[in-house]
Amino acid sequence: MPDLTASAPRRPRVVGFLCDWAVSSEGLVREDGTMRDLPNVTLIKIPCSGFVRPSWLEFALRSGADGAFVCGCPLGDCFNRLGNNLIADRVVQMRRRLERQKFQPDRVATIFYGLHDGPEFVAAVRAFCERIAQLPAPPPAPARRPAAGAPAGAGGAEGASREPQAGPAPGREEP
Amino acid sequence: MYKRLLDRLLRWTLGLDVWINRIYPPDFNPLYYTGGLSNLFLTILVLSGIFLFLYYVPSFNEAYTSIQYITGAPPFVANAVPYGQIIRGIHRYASDGFIIVILLHFFRNWFTERFRFSRDEPWISGMMLLLFSGFIGVTGYVLVWDQRSQLLVAMTGHTLAAIPVVGGAFQFLLFGGAGTTGLLLPRMLFLHVGPATALYVFLWWHYVRIRHPKVWPPAVWTLFSLGAVFLAAALIPAVSQALASTGAPPRFLAVDWFFLIPYVSLNYLTPAVLVLLAVVIVVYGLYIPYQLPETPAEMGIRDPGVAQVIDANCTGCELCYFDCPYNAIVMVPTPHPGVTKAAQARKLLAIVLESRCVECGICIGACPFEALELPGYLEQDIQEKVVAACRT
Repeated sequence: MPDLTASAPRRPRVVGFLCDWAVSSEGLVREDGTMRDLPNVTLIKIPCSGFVRPSWLEFALRSGADGAFVCGCPLGDCFNRLGNNLIADRVVQMRRRLERQKFQPDRVATIFYGLHDGPEFVAAVRAFCERIAQLPAPPPAPARRPAAGAPAGAGGAEGASREPQAGPAPGREEP
Repeated sequence: MYKRLLDRLLRWTLGLDVWINRIYPPDFNPLYYTGGLSNLFLTILVLSGIFLFLYYVPSFNEAYTSIQYITGAPPFVANAVPYGQIIRGIHRYASDGFIIVILLHFFRNWFTERFRFSRDEPWISGMMLLLFSGFIGVTGYVLVWDQRSQLLVAMTGHTLAAIPVVGGAFQFLLFGGAGTTGLLLPRMLFLHVGPATALYVFLWWHYVRIRHPKVWPPAVWTLFSLGAVFLAAALIPAVSQALASTGAPPRFLAVDWFFLIPYVSLNYLTPAVLVLLAVVIVVYGLYIPYQLPETPAEMGIRDPGVAQVIDANCTGCELCYFDCPYNAIVMVPTPHPGVTKAAQARKLLAIVLESRCVECGICIGACPFEALELPGYLEQDIQEKVVAACRT
């Protein structure tokens, strides 16, 4: 698929959270964190898939990513016992929340592969990218967001400015 | 060397999982439920054991005949004890199944390194469970008091005598005296039932640092295991060998390969070597969690550090408390209100027990109020990485 591997367009832009104990990133990831086979995908290493706050996936979408996923160990075999089941549940909940906020919920996903399943993992990520590429262009939700009160700009400035008003920020999980 | 071996074993274990996951959905992979299956077999053993206990008489004269009576063997009317033969078979074959699944559980958690960081206590208690289970199996074979039992007693005494200095004392403690005394069978009965009760104490220790332990397999595997045990009990009736004779013990041992392997090895080893080997294996088993004292940095991953509660943001909602897989978070009455609006009315405050925390960060994902952090993976860092990824 030349449209994905070509370095110039780098679309769809995908952020992935990769558990340290799941798929081994050796030979899979370049130094800058992008995947060797899919330069449009950036992997961020985390200690367990359960570590991911669903709001970070949402944050990735708001920051301009076309998709975000979490990769953990196979369901039922989490190194930390329950992490992948928990993140699977949380992402399912978040998809409902995304629907309300006019994001296509298909832009977030969970992928579960074990330590030595590198090729299968790459295939799953590729399928995810293709699915995202076929989605209609994202609705202007990010553009509408500044009107809701948050400062504009997709960059480090946004990440920093969101930090202080952390707790009661809109779009959080309802208690 | 050991590290490379462990890596290869891990590769095989996970490869087997992948293979099984192709057949079953991962929710039903039996290898993900070895702990629950052990618990299932233990429950079967306890229930059938209570039944047998009601009929068993622990004396030289009556032990053998009481078991013949249960099973309805020739001198007695068949079915004098309803389903006695079946229940004895269940007790026998469930014990074999129990040993199989706890060994699977042992090797699987060894190869997948589930004893890392502060997870050594489940490992140590698991080793205790394994030791006690083997011991209970052997005392159970003595209770039957057939020729095999007699041989087991002779071989055990012989092996214990090889221990220097304290060997004789051990023999006395175990058998109530040198050779076979009238105390033997009552003592064996206690050593069969007492340690079986102790298994539940060790199980408590096994579970105490675990939230939502998977104590039961999926229904399909429960039914499968039950069916397999019932089928084996019906097809291969569990029988005693000939009554133990008063003379010399027999030379032949009908082997139960799941419990009596140490006795088989006496064909090839001297008792002293066997004792030494057993001690080495047990001590090594207890040492396994400490063999690779690797810090996260040495394992090539970033050190997350123990999770920290941000006092100002914690609302006492208990989500992290429910989700922490290691019971490392406790809720205490809050000494003071929090700072943020949501945290001001809180009644509880989350506290992380550092000795239990394995630094997995699951509580961070659970917290919708940004009241928990891993020092090595601050939310800010993650968001900066996300933004950088989206900028390229």
